[in-house]
Amino acid sequence: MVERSQQEVWRLTPWLAIVLCVANFVLMAFDARADGGQRVIRVWAQTAADFVQSPVTTVTSSVSGYFGSIANLRGAQGENEVLKQRVQELEVELKAKEDLATENQRLNALLNLPEKTKYKVLNARIIGRDPSIWFDSSIVNRGSLDGVKLNMPVVTNGGLLGRVTAVGPLTSQVDLVTRDKSGVGAVVGEIAGSNALGVVMGSSKRELIEMKYVPGSAEVQVGQVVYTTGQDGIYPAGLKVGEIVEVESGSATTPHRIMIRPSAGIGSMQEVGILLYEPAVKEEFEKQLVKPAKAK
Amino acid sequence: MDQLKVTIALILAVLLQWTLRNVAEPFAYIDFPLIIVVYAALQRDAVKAILFGAFSGLAIDALSGGLLGANGFSKTLIAFVVSELARRVYLDNLLLRIPVIAGACLLDDLLYFGLHRVLGQEPSGHVMLTVSYSLIGTTIAGTAVYLMLDYFMTERTGGGTSRRRETLSARRQSRRRNPIRLGK
Repeated sequence: MVERSQQEVWRLTPWLAIVLCVANFVLMAFDARADGGQRVIRVWAQTAADFVQSPVTTVTSSVSGYFGSIANLRGAQGENEVLKQRVQELEVELKAKEDLATENQRLNALLNLPEKTKYKVLNARIIGRDPSIWFDSSIVNRGSLDGVKLNMPVVTNGGLLGRVTAVGPLTSQVDLVTRDKSGVGAVVGEIAGSNALGVVMGSSKRELIEMKYVPGSAEVQVGQVVYTTGQDGIYPAGLKVGEIVEVESGSATTPHRIMIRPSAGIGSMQEVGILLYEPAVKEEFEKQLVKPAKAK
Repeated sequence: MDQLKVTIALILAVLLQWTLRNVAEPFAYIDFPLIIVVYAALQRDAVKAILFGAFSGLAIDALSGGLLGANGFSKTLIAFVVSELARRVYLDNLLLRIPVIAGACLLDDLLYFGLHRVLGQEPSGHVMLTVSYSLIGTTIAGTAVYLMLDYFMTERTGGGTSRRRETLSARRQSRRRNPIRLGK
């Protein structure tokens, strides 16, 4: 084996640094391309990390759950009374909803309306958070073997959390709505009764998201709830995004600047739901569009 | 043997970086792999430090929402800069390593942020706040880690007193182990 002198090594070092920096830069430029695909290296690193992250998460959540349950015991009796009352109220509400659903089904059958798209919810646990402080993605313990696919929406019981951006066999990466590139099509209030349509994306404030491109003429108030429109081709319509906390009013020519607090409870989430939802394929519609060149 | 110990320390650092943020959010402000990369660079093993920087950076990028290669790029560059600095300036004293890890952390954060801005990916959060917390967290953790690593790396032949004498007598050490003089 050839022994290199210290001076030879020092002479080689800049070249090694340059080669590695260039390789990393090429990788970055390749990754920055907006082709919507996922990178193999990312998928396999996540799969490897799962063997470490899953046991650590199991241990830490069981330890914190144990101490949490002891702390919760103190208020359990009072909470029990409140919950019993709430159950009674909900039973009445449920009965009314069942009647409405039956009526709705009957009317749909009469009018021969096609059934709306349904999607299943796959429960998942967050086993890892972004190791870099600059981003807010999370790793969940469900992957392609569970039926997860790229761009599937992820929710919590509070509302929309984000979408799947990389899928491995056992795990998936979820990009949160707080990311500046999230781009969720949204509406202020009910979709049928509002013209305040816009796009929700991350803001410079980590805990808030911003709704852009809402026309300045639209009526928007603090406290209103924002829902998805389903027009972005990723998220289904009607998912709760958050509540408006700040409005910088626009004019006839400039849009409003709206800040929203996400309803998904982004800081404290542990359990999430992946919507096994795939937006309707526009293939049929696209087939009808005849390109000018082909038409000739 | 020391090579193996530093490599194990780097693997542990990557695993901690992967898992600790899920345990408690403030751990995200500590860059464990950077601490080990700078430590390796301060040992004047430039090749090892650069390779450590590239691979640990990629391992972090793979699980991050950021660009693949951004951490690899910044950590490789920092490993090179610190190893060049350690070759020219005496940095064996713990007190001298504190500004080095602080400077490395600051440079790493600014490079990482800048690269994302250049390539059109805006990182979330307030820049100054994130950089400040990261600087404080990594510097404090780095100092503690260096104390621990020095403890494990030192050959315990002469007992605790002689080791303490080695650590504290900077003037004597610089005369004996100055790399510039050895290079001549």
